[in-house]
Amino acid sequence: MRWGVTRAQVGRREARTHRLAVPHAVSTSGLAKTYAGPLGRNAVHALRPLDLAVEEGEIFGLLGPNGAGKTTLVKLLLGLARPTEGEAALFGRSIREPEARRPVGFLPENHRFPPFLTARETLRLYARLAGVPEAERAARASTLLDRVRLVDAADRRVKTFSKGMMQRLGLAQALMSRPRLVFLDEPTDGVDPVGRREIRDLLLELRAGGTTLFLNSHLLSEIERVCTRVAILNEGRLVREGTVEALTTTERLWRLRSTPLPPDLLAGLDGAVTAEPGAEDPSGLARYRLAVPDRPALNALLDRLRTAHVEVEAVEPLRQSLEDLFVEVVQDTGTSTPS
Amino acid sequence: MAGLVLLTLRELRAKKVVLGLFLVATLVWVLLASALQLDVVDGSLAGARLFGQDAEFGDAVDPETGEPVAPEVPFGAETVLEGLVFAAEAFVAGAAYWVGILLALFATGGLVASLLERGQVDLLLSKPLSRGQILGGRLLGVGAMMLALLVYLLGAVWLVMSLKTGVWNPRFLLAIGVVFAMFAVIYSVVTVVSVWTESAALGFIATLAVLFASLVLAIPELSMQVRAPWRQLIEGLRVVIPQFPGVGVRIVPQLATGGAVASWAPLLASLLFGLALYAGAFALFRRKDF
Repeated sequence: MRWGVTRAQVGRREARTHRLAVPHAVSTSGLAKTYAGPLGRNAVHALRPLDLAVEEGEIFGLLGPNGAGKTTLVKLLLGLARPTEGEAALFGRSIREPEARRPVGFLPENHRFPPFLTARETLRLYARLAGVPEAERAARASTLLDRVRLVDAADRRVKTFSKGMMQRLGLAQALMSRPRLVFLDEPTDGVDPVGRREIRDLLLELRAGGTTLFLNSHLLSEIERVCTRVAILNEGRLVREGTVEALTTTERLWRLRSTPLPPDLLAGLDGAVTAEPGAEDPSGLARYRLAVPDRPALNALLDRLRTAHVEVEAVEPLRQSLEDLFVEVVQDTGTSTPS
Repeated sequence: MAGLVLLTLRELRAKKVVLGLFLVATLVWVLLASALQLDVVDGSLAGARLFGQDAEFGDAVDPETGEPVAPEVPFGAETVLEGLVFAAEAFVAGAAYWVGILLALFATGGLVASLLERGQVDLLLSKPLSRGQILGGRLLGVGAMMLALLVYLLGAVWLVMSLKTGVWNPRFLLAIGVVFAMFAVIYSVVTVVSVWTESAALGFIATLAVLFASLVLAIPELSMQVRAPWRQLIEGLRVVIPQFPGVGVRIVPQLATGGAVASWAPLLASLLFGLALYAGAFALFRRKDF
């Protein structure tokens, strides 16, 4: 241990160094943003020091209530705002360098294309700005217009487009440079259910091709379906992070399907087993919820039930929906509704 | 950056007012070409007709002696023909300076603010471009349009006059550079205010205020009519604020009429002001959060 520095501090520092040294798709180290108020008063801490790493090939979902710092984080990573402190890198390259954004595609929430351009011209223009060679632009634009079902409107001015069409064009724009990392802010906003499904399929197709996706959406069910890992921000802090599977699995709760427990046995288990309401099924089996601290305790409980001649049909870990988790986490750490 | 210049030119093309400016420029030189009819004999002007009216030259006589006298020649020209060319070119250059700059400002003034609109700037900043390239690309696009307009108007007028009269006044072409430079100086006010406030309206108001201030400061008696601390302030502002009237009165007409410019100081001082404001605009844009 270094003089004056605790082991934990050294560990955190080394973890940060490692996070920036290994070329993750996205890595942040102590990244923070504070918006100063008038005369330096009433400063808003939009993002507290954040350490985060997104692996290449992941679909990473960012959740949080209004004002949680999600948009601020995306803005910092894409150079739209400047960090107050900390560092961040895209594929190991500091976000302070414009070149860090070369392998990146971005679909902002309320994007606005020049209304006088056609869809095809729009794609070619933004591809040019992204550094796509001229020889590739036309073919790539045609392919993507076909992929997002805008071929028939390819030569129409953008100002005549509906919200859904604009969203699909925005997605095509984000993919023009064959990015390795795509930031999507509410990608299905304003899109009809069929289009929404198509976009979801496209995202999964991109993931299969190795593209990393950074998804910011208020549709929790959508995040749950496509994301491999999620992070929940609240009041500028990272309050939960992990795979969807790990976060939604309630470790201490199991569901038991078995023959009915004798009432005296049930009463003697001190609340470790509770009957689920209306839980008896036509086969004569009943459903219970088991609350035990860990797996050995679960097995000990099952042994006790079997000793009492209870026949076990099934035991499965209980999973929350992502929405349940989100509400629980947000209520525990402070505020309101998802955005 | 070429993509941003292209985007700016497309945006300007979509604005009908820019097409209108080119149309007006076309009307000016077409009218001049068709209205001016000259009879030139042995390199001298024997007769001229402007909009169908005859102009009399060279037949003035001294009432006392009855001897023919040389006609009065404007702008220090050597011949009446040269004077006529200088007069036409001075008129067009003056119009381009006093009216053209204002019209171009109205046509292009909103472009910096529109670049910074949410939804548009997000897309641009997410590309592998520096902020300097983004703002620079937009300004280059505006500059390219203004330069094209000036070359089209003043270049065409110069060619028409030169071909019709045989009087070639190459110094007139320097007026293109001066008018362009002063447009760029005035546009620096729009740029810095638009980057700072993201408001096109405030950009216009600030620019018009600077133009008004420069006109007021150009009144010679102004500093005589105020007391000591204000007098120094006025003298200081005269140095700092772009000298729009000074350039328009002392430099543009001189170039148009082939005369020597007594002092380039008003232009140089204005250019310094413009450079300082552009530097400020780029610094503000680099630090701005969106």
